[in-house]
Amino acid sequence: MSLSRRSLLGLAGAGSAALALGACAGGNTSAGGGGGEEGDGTIQFWSNHPGSSKDVEQSIIDLWNEENPDTPATLVDGGANYEELGQKFNAALAGGGLPDLIVASDVTWFNFAFTGATTALDDLWSEAGVETDDLVDTLREDYNYDGKHYGMPYSRSTTLMYFNSEVMDKAGLPTDRGPETWDEFAQWAPKIMEANGGKPALVVPDGSNYLDWYFQGMIWTFGGAYSEEWTPTFTEQGSIDAATFLQEQVAAGHIQIAADANNTFAIDSASALLQSTGSLGGLTESAEFPFHTTYLPGPKPGACTGGAGVAVPDGISDERKVTAVRFADFLTSTKNTITFSQATGYMPVRKSAMEDPEEAKYLEENPNAMTAIRQMSENTQPQDYARVFVSGGGQRIGAGLDRIAIAGEDVATVMEDLQAETQEVIDRDITPNL
Amino acid sequence: MTMTDDAKAVLPPTPGTGSDIDDAPVLTAAQQKRASSRRIRYQGGLSGRLIGYTGMVLAVLLFFVPLYFIVITSLKTHGDIYSDPISWIPNPFAPENYTYVLSEVRFDRYLRNSIIITSILTVVQVALGVMCAYGFSFLRFPGRNLLFLLVIASLMVPNQVTVISNYALVASWGWRNTFQGIIVPLAAVAFGTFLMRNHFLSLPKEIMEAAELDGTGFFRTLFRVVLPMSWPTLVAFTLITVVTEWNQYLWPFLMSDTDAVAPLPIGLTQLQDNEGLTNWGPVMAGTVLTTVPMLIVFLILQKQMIKGLTAGAVKG
Repeated sequence: MSLSRRSLLGLAGAGSAALALGACAGGNTSAGGGGGEEGDGTIQFWSNHPGSSKDVEQSIIDLWNEENPDTPATLVDGGANYEELGQKFNAALAGGGLPDLIVASDVTWFNFAFTGATTALDDLWSEAGVETDDLVDTLREDYNYDGKHYGMPYSRSTTLMYFNSEVMDKAGLPTDRGPETWDEFAQWAPKIMEANGGKPALVVPDGSNYLDWYFQGMIWTFGGAYSEEWTPTFTEQGSIDAATFLQEQVAAGHIQIAADANNTFAIDSASALLQSTGSLGGLTESAEFPFHTTYLPGPKPGACTGGAGVAVPDGISDERKVTAVRFADFLTSTKNTITFSQATGYMPVRKSAMEDPEEAKYLEENPNAMTAIRQMSENTQPQDYARVFVSGGGQRIGAGLDRIAIAGEDVATVMEDLQAETQEVIDRDITPNL
Repeated sequence: MTMTDDAKAVLPPTPGTGSDIDDAPVLTAAQQKRASSRRIRYQGGLSGRLIGYTGMVLAVLLFFVPLYFIVITSLKTHGDIYSDPISWIPNPFAPENYTYVLSEVRFDRYLRNSIIITSILTVVQVALGVMCAYGFSFLRFPGRNLLFLLVIASLMVPNQVTVISNYALVASWGWRNTFQGIIVPLAAVAFGTFLMRNHFLSLPKEIMEAAELDGTGFFRTLFRVVLPMSWPTLVAFTLITVVTEWNQYLWPFLMSDTDAVAPLPIGLTQLQDNEGLTNWGPVMAGTVLTTVPMLIVFLILQKQMIKGLTAGAVKG
């Protein structure tokens, strides 16, 4: 009767299998052919409310409804996380009743674009009069596939290091910067542990909580990667070195892998945390000690972008598409992206947001929020295809890293498995359709 | 084996002719053996009893500790939940988790939706199950067994497989985000038919014949004769239905868009954070609040179930 997250995920897994089956079976009732599905006049915005943002989203929508009484928008609970939202959208793709706008995460947007479920936005942007130059370039280009854009940045994040300032002071380590490299972190770690009663220096979420995302920056700094475009590179020397480093640091007690890393850090059971910028809001509220945020260790780039954007289904009528893009433009407007980012910790997605005097003041007062934005232009690069474009990539790599870090299995063996499994999916799903 | 020798040596006892002085019934060797083994099992040694009690305590702990943790976590503050070592009593006591749940996720609406969906589904499913089962067990018509096989076959299809076709159909009727859209596709379940039919067939034919002789009609037989003898099964079936529908997740999730129709399990997911920080206190408070109505239903129905069992025993 109690509803655990795992049982939910299990259900969702069963559901997705069923959805896949259903999609094969097809059905003559499915809509979306011909001129596209007509709606009921309201904009259906399917969101999983990233960063507990339901109230913020609703207030932005209320503003839109005031200004656009002819095309009001409705906020729809799309699921508990990005994956559930993806399943709900899959059901609508097969069964009809398409939404106007969906939240699509770094991991889900490409598959939707690749299968033609979501539409290219470039023409719609010009038709709806969206100033795309104002969108932060790297964030906009994340949704580029084959020269066209299939999403608009919305709740975008990067990885950050969170440090307990008191512990760092006590350890005599700098509080104005993080370690320059992971090797420097390895030198810092014993001092940090000593200053905080032997507790782990750093806590990182486990494989079912996107360890694959956090580790991506680390693997780059060792000269490795998950893939070079469509070629998996798990077995390259740099990748092996990074995974070995992770395994050694965990074995030495420097790094702890935890399912609920945020809380481990927030109650001072670890002195530092590797997490998304999206956790900033929650941590500021719940941590009872001062903390500061830093870049991830270099050499640059040592962090990846992530989070979600919004995408428009291809199966709806052209009129609905244009309205949806106008709404997406409003959702990410200078004013609203500021509201949204301040409430959640996600990054503002507009350049003009940076020039806004109030936002500038806010960032000055909240240097932790500024870290992410500065790191964005200095220390990040887009993610590897093997994680975000190959279906199931994130989960597959996360599970592999769990085997290395938690179970302590042989690094080379696990990486070879990952290499082979990824290659198999690419050969099956991607290569024939490129 | 010495059994055959024993059997030959001791003839079946005849009352009053035994050579033994006391009045105790004469037992065969086999009977004595059985009686002595029974004595050992029941009176047992101390060690036997200890093992028994340890087992019981372990079993109770196995159920109780997780439940206990759900309850105390729902009353803990955020820091207390993660305190090391674990605190077994909430300190400080934080009932505000409950007010937070009630205010934050419109718990009242989800609760209302859950009650509407579950009660309608239970009534429909139990009515359908009993009617179908009654027809299948007491009506004779051509193709009855074949039809019953078809009903049973539908039990074998996992409902996840039918999700897409159901979705397509319901969406094309414009029933997304409505109560009928959630309820109608879930309403027909073969399980009840299967369970009740098998029970009806186990009822003694004589009673049915007696009822027929007394001139009870078709439905009167169902309500006055068959169902009163089937309370335990019927209550068990109802209970299973209520709990299943209360915890239904996948289908209502796909169908519902807002808290206008979404039931509690979906409301609970609103308490969890995606990339941020999940505060488990309110999540557990929501879980407790979701569980309580089921506990009440269970306690009420359980009494009925036992009543049914004993009533049958006395009459029989």
